[in-house]
Amino acid sequence: MGIDIGKFLKNPEYEIKITTYRDIFQAEALERDRFGEEYRKLSAAIMMSKNDMKRMGFKPGDRVKLTNDNGSIVVELRESKREEPGGVAFMVNSPWSNALVSGDTGGRGIPEFKNISAMISLAKEEVTTIERLIIVR
Amino acid sequence: MPTVMELYQLLPKTNCKKCGESTCMAFAVALLSRKKNIQECPPVLEGKFKEQKDKLESLLLPAAGAEETGLIVHPELCTGCGNCVVACPVDVANDPKGAGIGGAPTNDKVIFRVLDGKVVASNIKECRRFGMNRVLCYACIDPCPTGAIEFV
Amino acid sequence: MVTCTCTGCALLCEDIDVIIENNRVKEVKNACRRGAARIRGCVNRLEPSVNKKQADIDTSIKKAAEILKNARSPMLFGWGNSTCEAQVKGIELAKRLNAIIDDNSSFCQGLLIERILKKKFRTCSLEDIRNRADVLIYWGSDAQDSQPRHLSRFSYFPRGEHRQHGYEEDRTAAVIDVRESSTAKICKGHFYRIPTGGDRELILALMDALSGKVPKYDKRVLELAGIMKKAECGAIFAGIGLTYSIKDDPDILVALADKLPNFNIMPMVGHYNMRGFNENLFKETGFVNRIRFEGRPVHNDGYAVVEALRQKSIDALLVIGSDPLSSLPGSIVSHLADIPVICIDPCVTLTSRIAAVTIPCAVSGVESGGSAVRMDGRVVELPGIIENNHLSDQEIMTGLMEAL
Repeated sequence: MGIDIGKFLKNPEYEIKITTYRDIFQAEALERDRFGEEYRKLSAAIMMSKNDMKRMGFKPGDRVKLTNDNGSIVVELRESKREEPGGVAFMVNSPWSNALVSGDTGGRGIPEFKNISAMISLAKEEVTTIERLIIVR
Repeated sequence: MPTVMELYQLLPKTNCKKCGESTCMAFAVALLSRKKNIQECPPVLEGKFKEQKDKLESLLLPAAGAEETGLIVHPELCTGCGNCVVACPVDVANDPKGAGIGGAPTNDKVIFRVLDGKVVASNIKECRRFGMNRVLCYACIDPCPTGAIEFV
Repeated sequence: MVTCTCTGCALLCEDIDVIIENNRVKEVKNACRRGAARIRGCVNRLEPSVNKKQADIDTSIKKAAEILKNARSPMLFGWGNSTCEAQVKGIELAKRLNAIIDDNSSFCQGLLIERILKKKFRTCSLEDIRNRADVLIYWGSDAQDSQPRHLSRFSYFPRGEHRQHGYEEDRTAAVIDVRESSTAKICKGHFYRIPTGGDRELILALMDALSGKVPKYDKRVLELAGIMKKAECGAIFAGIGLTYSIKDDPDILVALADKLPNFNIMPMVGHYNMRGFNENLFKETGFVNRIRFEGRPVHNDGYAVVEALRQKSIDALLVIGSDPLSSLPGSIVSHLADIPVICIDPCVTLTSRIAAVTIPCAVSGVESGGSAVRMDGRVVELPGIIENNHLSDQEIMTGLMEAL
């Protein structure tokens, strides 16, 4: 039996900036079934540039935990197919990204949906299900 | 053109991954978009699948037609935005009051139409890439944000 | 084959042909991927219920009326996916209940639509864009993914009255965005990438460049200013990327527009009738959202859905055609567990799962008709095309009024 040395290593955490966007394929999945597998697959993911992933020692397909004062979720890491200078990660707007958005709007009523700070680290847990996101804290 | 489901129904449905795809459904999608060919599915080449294999080959035969004209639409990438419908100079010439001004096509002479949210090409012989005065036209490819149209 | 209007986004495409067989959608022609999915409908239709137990629709409506009547501070929220007729009834209901009424524009495009309705911006119709526009600026807006037929039907690709030569010759399209969006891919040569929150700085630099001053900014801003200056008829399509970024001082965009006499501003709207709600409430109160009726309409940022939930200042919530549990920050929706929620929607949503009362409705545009306001302000008719037994939003509003 092999020893899982991974669990003896410190799991490094990095600070990242996330901005959200819209995706027509995800919007299509939403119209059809917001509890479906397709919607989860297209929503519970974070896109990063190749360089950012390399710097943090992550690879596409890794599960990552995103945590800040507002919440914590596990999503799949994907390499952005866009041309990216790096420094910012992207998520499609969804209940998953909204779990990380602050409700503090300085009294103005418009949250920072597109300007999210969070810590990212590799996760052993499964990707957060939509059922988990309905449990109102 | 066959549908993904038609192709999938004829595959072994064992998800054996020998083709390099994760599922038979994914392989069916790849077959349809001509990224893979039937020979890449080892189980279907076995004798007991002969009937299915022949059927698959005949379903994919019109592809030879598509290859002759070279135009391939990847429906799984298409967003149905209709940019190609409106930008194609043949569509503009053949339907100036419909596709030409951004609307739905008003006749059957256009090359591109959007059905169920995905573009479908017909009248391909009208394409400027063919015939006596052919030109290397990119009018449908340049406006496509997802690379859903290609000429091979 | 019947023709219908797509309610997938605020472009309200009226050229959708649908083949119906046995009262079901068989094929959708001309709609984009998202629109086709909207017209085909969802897999999980909502059922009427009271306290998570199945109920008939009349019982649900009665129970909803009772909750609203007994509440001290109820809120009616959603509206972007309802017809104008339902919205007008909803505003009446809010008056009757002395309730707070707010919609998705409260955390979306409300800031810009308010300025459009107050005539602080020059604006125009989408047909004007098609017929005249020669410079198009998609700013913080990925139309290709959010309003997928915007470029093909109106802005970039079609031939128009004064734009007869095709888009390469007649029009210049530029994208200002944090991300290389699908729209940016199409406008390759004119993609201006800015950092998150960098919109204000670019606006100031553009204003300098337009006034002949040398802006302290990347020199590509001069190129962009040059394109804008030469426009005969320009348009800035303002997406929520831009709106969110300048939310503390939206008038900075008014200041830029004042320096561009040939330009129109058009807020890019997602929900098909969000602008309709804004216009209907504006007609009634002079404001586009965040109103409480107390004998007279009172506008206050505390009546924004986000603030009301964060401050836990409401004691009942009616949600119509929206899914706040899905679209609001997770950190503020906990209040929804403490108050009765009434959910009106064609489909099961995250919010309907926790609602005390659910009331299913028809899919507007497909199963029920009415009218809606396109993103540019034009009123568009929605013919219902499928016979069905579901109540429309409007009928449910009437039912609630009667039950009160």
